[in-house]
Amino acid sequence: MERYERAAVLLSLVEKLRDGDSWCGETHVQKGTYFLQDLLGVPLEYDFILYKHGPFSFDLRDEISWMRAKDLLKLQPQPWPYGPKLIPGDNAELLMETYLKPIERYTDRVQKIADEFADMGVTALERYATAYYVSKNHEEVGDGDIAVKIVELKPHISLGEAQEAVEFVAKLRRVLSES
Amino acid sequence: MVNKRTHEIRDPIHVFIRLDSDERKVLDSPPFQRLRHIHQLALTYLVYPGATHKRFEHSLGVMELASRIYDVVTDPENIYQQYASVRDIIPIYRQFDHLHWRRTLRLAALCHDLGHLPFSHVSEELLPEDWDHERMTMEIILGKELADILRQIHVQPEDVAKLVIGPKKSKAYLKVELNEWENILSEIITGDVFGADRMDYLLRDSYHAGVAYGKFDHYRLIDTMRVLPKQEAGGSQEPVLGVEEGGLESAEALLLARYFMFSQIYFHPVRLIYDEHLLDFLKSWLDKGLFPTDWKEHLKYTDNEVISAMLSIAQNKSHPAHIHADRIVNRRHFRSIYRSTAEDRKLLEPGKKIYEAASEKFGEENVKHVEKTQTRSVSDFPVLVQGTRIAQAASEKETFEDVTSVYEHVFVSAEMKNEANTWLLNNREGILSSAGGG
Repeated sequence: MERYERAAVLLSLVEKLRDGDSWCGETHVQKGTYFLQDLLGVPLEYDFILYKHGPFSFDLRDEISWMRAKDLLKLQPQPWPYGPKLIPGDNAELLMETYLKPIERYTDRVQKIADEFADMGVTALERYATAYYVSKNHEEVGDGDIAVKIVELKPHISLGEAQEAVEFVAKLRRVLSES
Repeated sequence: MVNKRTHEIRDPIHVFIRLDSDERKVLDSPPFQRLRHIHQLALTYLVYPGATHKRFEHSLGVMELASRIYDVVTDPENIYQQYASVRDIIPIYRQFDHLHWRRTLRLAALCHDLGHLPFSHVSEELLPEDWDHERMTMEIILGKELADILRQIHVQPEDVAKLVIGPKKSKAYLKVELNEWENILSEIITGDVFGADRMDYLLRDSYHAGVAYGKFDHYRLIDTMRVLPKQEAGGSQEPVLGVEEGGLESAEALLLARYFMFSQIYFHPVRLIYDEHLLDFLKSWLDKGLFPTDWKEHLKYTDNEVISAMLSIAQNKSHPAHIHADRIVNRRHFRSIYRSTAEDRKLLEPGKKIYEAASEKFGEENVKHVEKTQTRSVSDFPVLVQGTRIAQAASEKETFEDVTSVYEHVFVSAEMKNEANTWLLNNREGILSSAGGG
């Protein structure tokens, strides 16, 4: 996918998250894009690694910077204690009108991600995305030990939270594979 | 008994940079000494004549600043006990682990630019796919020459390498994931908000270029830096680098300094076009148009070899790289005919449209299009307010909202400049009216 097409798909994700009353900060966009790409196979071609707050793409962060510079996205600060939101910029509509085809091609998958994650807070997104990442990237870890591995990699997540995240991800995979 | 004498090096930015005899072994090694011959800002000295400083002194400066940051953020008085996620990862002050990681961090900071090619970033395009200067740096650190020195002074080369190349490249090249503490250490060196690398290059480049844009109160900023949970309770508790509220203005000044340095120095149109000509020259001059990836071969290339070849080829009209060398050596570089304005940025790809039309009119070989965006513009970091609550920088100061821009230029060959300017004056509106989308 070329850069402007990718930007159009990202903008459609931002819009659908916002339609679902998502806070839509950078964490929401990072994790939503991660699931969209790695779980639902939309070929956005970002490299994700396990970093702060779970799976994170430096390429995507640079893409967001570029989109802000191009007035495709805007950062909207929020009063304490909330982090800033990402909202469509002045050029967003023009881009989405110009690149309708990629948006239409992936609209169902973008909608599924928005349906699943729009109403989640950042800590839940961090846990679930981390659980999915560990289950996918640490094949040496048996199913029963994924939660332990999550705690080892992210000590600020409790074992109970990690176990709940592993169960959520297993259910999510079932639901999305059936739909 | 090992002599641990402290050595002092004079520096125009930090006054004195001190290192001990063990660290000096790394400083004196050929891979590090090579950095005396790599310009920090490539051919920028052709625009700003004072900007002839090298990666050598910048690397020393990064070591100095990284040490200062480490000492501040690990000082027990600066660790907020109410944040367990922070308290639990910082080693006990002055105990073995604390000193071990301090030494490793200093050496990683010192070595962070070893893999730079001649003329720094501009040449990276001439490495094979999946290679970049960070990977070259890793290869040199893990190569026998430097790894032996590091082991001799009880530092693990693998630890140095992963702090230098950071989480993304460690995953890609070393197949390891950094833990939370290692992420913090890596962030101290090359972090996108307050990394020592960023602080030193802004201060140093500004000083040598003779501009004031890159200056900010780094003393105050470093003094107020803390490891903090990213968000207030209920949000992510993952520890990251942030500041106490007293440092917010200094952080703001750093962000603005970076913005101005990009617009005035790093993305100066003449510097950008010299980069293009240099790239063309290197593609033509190098064997198969690529730099080698073997670290021993890599160390043989510095700016000096390239400049020497360029001067010689500029005199030799039959050499295939002559035209590119001539453009640089004799200042016959392409001239800018178009720079995108704030109004043009309401269009999607204005520069590309101008470039396509100009190429059709004047020939593709006589026109170049350069678009640059200030990347790694991160402005979301935690701020500790009144010692009790974590706020987000963008919520505290509007400056952190949006300080980034796109710089777009179209250049034509020097001899066509006047004709091209007249042509653009008459056709600009018509060309840009078609620049809605791709």
